Amino acid sequence: MSVSAPAPGPPRDATLPAPVERVLDNGLRVVAFAQRNLPLIAAQLVVRCGGAAEREDEAGLSALVAALLTQGTTTRGAIELAAAADALGARLDAASGYDASIVSVSATTPAFGAAFALLDEVVRQPAFAPHEVERVRTKSISDLSLTYANPSALARLVSQRVAYAGAPYGHPVAGTVATLEALGRDRVAWFHERFYRPDDAVLVIGGDLDVDDAFALAERVLGSWRAPGPLPDRPPFGEIPAPRSRVVIVDKPDAGRTALYSGRVTIERASPDFYAAIVAIAVLSGYSGRLNQEIRVKRGLSYGAGAMLAARRMPGLFLSSTLIDHTRAVEAAAVTAATIRSLADAPATDEDLVKRKAVVTGGFYRSIETIDGIAANVAEHVLYDVPLGEINEYARRVQDVDAASVSAFAARGLVPDDFVVLVGDAAKFADEFARTHSDVRVIPFAALDLGSPTLGAK
Amino acid sequence: MTVPTTISASAIDVAPIRYVDRTLANGLRAILVRDPRVPSVAINVAYRVGGKDDPAGRSGFAHLFEHLMFKGTARTGPETIDRLTEDVGGFNNAFTTEDITNYYEVIPSNHLERLLWAEADRLAGLVVNEDNFVTERDVVIGEYDQRILAEPYGMLDELVNREAYVAHPYRRGVIGSPAELNAASLDDVVAFHATYYRPDNAVLVVAGDLDVDATMRWIETYFGAIATPPTPIPRVQVVEPQQNAERRYEYRAANVPLPASEEAYHIPDAAHPDAAALDVLETLLGGGRSSRLYTALVYHKQLASSTYAAADLREQPGLFGIRVTCARGVPLEQARAALELELDRVRTQPPDDGEIERVRTQIASTVVRSRQTNNGVALTMARAVTERGDPELVNGDLARYLAVSAGDVLRVARTYLRPENRTVIEYLPQ
Repeated sequence: MSVSAPAPGPPRDATLPAPVERVLDNGLRVVAFAQRNLPLIAAQLVVRCGGAAEREDEAGLSALVAALLTQGTTTRGAIELAAAADALGARLDAASGYDASIVSVSATTPAFGAAFALLDEVVRQPAFAPHEVERVRTKSISDLSLTYANPSALARLVSQRVAYAGAPYGHPVAGTVATLEALGRDRVAWFHERFYRPDDAVLVIGGDLDVDDAFALAERVLGSWRAPGPLPDRPPFGEIPAPRSRVVIVDKPDAGRTALYSGRVTIERASPDFYAAIVAIAVLSGYSGRLNQEIRVKRGLSYGAGAMLAARRMPGLFLSSTLIDHTRAVEAAAVTAATIRSLADAPATDEDLVKRKAVVTGGFYRSIETIDGIAANVAEHVLYDVPLGEINEYARRVQDVDAASVSAFAARGLVPDDFVVLVGDAAKFADEFARTHSDVRVIPFAALDLGSPTLGAK
Repeated sequence: MTVPTTISASAIDVAPIRYVDRTLANGLRAILVRDPRVPSVAINVAYRVGGKDDPAGRSGFAHLFEHLMFKGTARTGPETIDRLTEDVGGFNNAFTTEDITNYYEVIPSNHLERLLWAEADRLAGLVVNEDNFVTERDVVIGEYDQRILAEPYGMLDELVNREAYVAHPYRRGVIGSPAELNAASLDDVVAFHATYYRPDNAVLVVAGDLDVDATMRWIETYFGAIATPPTPIPRVQVVEPQQNAERRYEYRAANVPLPASEEAYHIPDAAHPDAAALDVLETLLGGGRSSRLYTALVYHKQLASSTYAAADLREQPGLFGIRVTCARGVPLEQARAALELELDRVRTQPPDDGEIERVRTQIASTVVRSRQTNNGVALTMARAVTERGDPELVNGDLARYLAVSAGDVLRVARTYLRPENRTVIEYLPQ
């Protein structure tokens, strides 16, 4: 056998089924695609309102609405609904993010018509029964304590607040204990009535059917859905705070390790910089990415480190993350900042770039192995106003990114990292930060209020 | 608009999986499934060695080995497989069951030859030294501490295997015991590799964007060169004696949020004609929120916080497990009494047509969904060969589920879910 691995062959491309769009009379945009290798069909109804549409004091409302859709309708209770989906072998789910609330259903071809009728039923006739509102709200509140017990999850929520303050991506989309406790059935029904409407929604439907049949099914089932009056203008996005270098520490002495996050607000999904940005993130992330090399492999500061980009309708968040020993927080923060800066100063080598781009395209191709995955990709394009044709250009656009464009994007979109957030045992590192940074704030965990744009009284 | 509320599962029409099946001269079985939709490919290498094959006094060995297979070879350093996959947009992992150890990679299809080389390389030339052996043994013991000792109900699976079998090595489970792992030597490890990691004990499945001829050529080049030792592969011959009276075992631990119990009934092997009906029985009792146990115990009577049923079909006779975790404040006897009523019902009355149709539709839909990813297809094929002896069985599974009648469900429930055929583990707080 040869002593080293044979060279890879030339990369191969794939073509996704081209999505086709039509608009129904009620304003509902329908995007359909045919992919007929298996007898499966999936649909996602993308309602273009989510957590970003909530009031500050009602954080968690859109998530509560989405969670309640599948917990009973005016004609059947939660368990009957589950039984109806099971009888069809269907999956029926609803969830919300900042920019959208998404109701999805998938089933085998012969069952899909009936499964799609279930989607219609939960979208148009949810019961929001008081006992279900109470049950889901209680569960959401108890889930929050699990999130807060995890230093990394908490650091991410704090980072969002630091980056956006009172702008719509600042508050936690899952809400806080206080905001959830104040929400009841009336507000849930209000949000649903106001925002779940055909003229601000997109239906993505695809799989084992012709696109004409998909449009006919959409028209038959959702054609009678009416908007409650004219579509109001989308309220202006709140002002994103000006970048300011600062360190925010949440003191949690019981944390096993310190979560270290850093980042800044960067581009929106529809930005022409998007592909350079995801390649830049790939150069930083993964085992062989620069952050892990510097933080774990060279210095043993952590088990792992990486970076992510939340690409949204409005400028999203770039975040680096790692989990370190409390006593090495200052060192890790300095290494993280220098590593992110290196992206602007020291371009990736060609060999490295080939691999990091393969990471991006490989992940994309895996994501479109399933009908649900294709539907989710189509939905992302539609939601963020990216031309549908781009879905078949994704891999090529990634391949077109060169080292110079990664560095150029890093210089204007990632550097400097604006803030550092730490969640851990502050006694072990807060003083050291105070010696080198002029703007350091320490918040005891008990005083932290994620419901406040300033994270609690200052 | 009126729509049907149920469908006939027989309307779900899935094309058979087409594959090439070839056994090399050295005994390695290679199965290729071509699906070029996406430029991605999945490799599964399943070795017919699992927890049941651990040497006497060395429980946990097959699983320890799974870890050692990532430590490098004569030609490569540690974590080579990670670098060859994660760095080019793929991933890899492995798992060990009672019957097999399965290694898998999903990669962009232009990297297929490299990964076939790497898989052949670690079959042919694994290098284990005292250092990485000791390190990895500590990792496995750490996994035991974390998964079995620290997690709530972590010991339950171990207890089920240990108490339900009196003779068969399935009683030792997969993760083994720290004491036996600590007693192992490097010589034991080398002997284990020589005994089970050989071409005629492996099934290689490649599914996805591949060229059949080129792939077969690479497999011949890299795997075909590996010699097969002349000694026979040891196989477990122990037959578990028939159980004739219920056994009960009470376990108390510190980290038990709510009392729970699991009862395990002996069932036949995965290739047995009753296997499909047992899968249907599993879904009828425990599949989702419309299942009998969930609706009766969790939703209506509110005696349980969760319920679970599983036909654990294995290469050799397995177990049908039924687990119930009490609702807060409910004594275990009360939840178990309600469970017993449900079991009486399934043993004495056939399910009605609507219910059987619903369950068959659930199962058929799951089968269809599992065909969506290359790795799903590869794993399905690998398991069919190693656990049931024939890849073609995957193309008959849907028809076998559709052929299960209400009478079959009643019959298997009566045959296997008998109290004298079960072991009950009661898992209680201290």
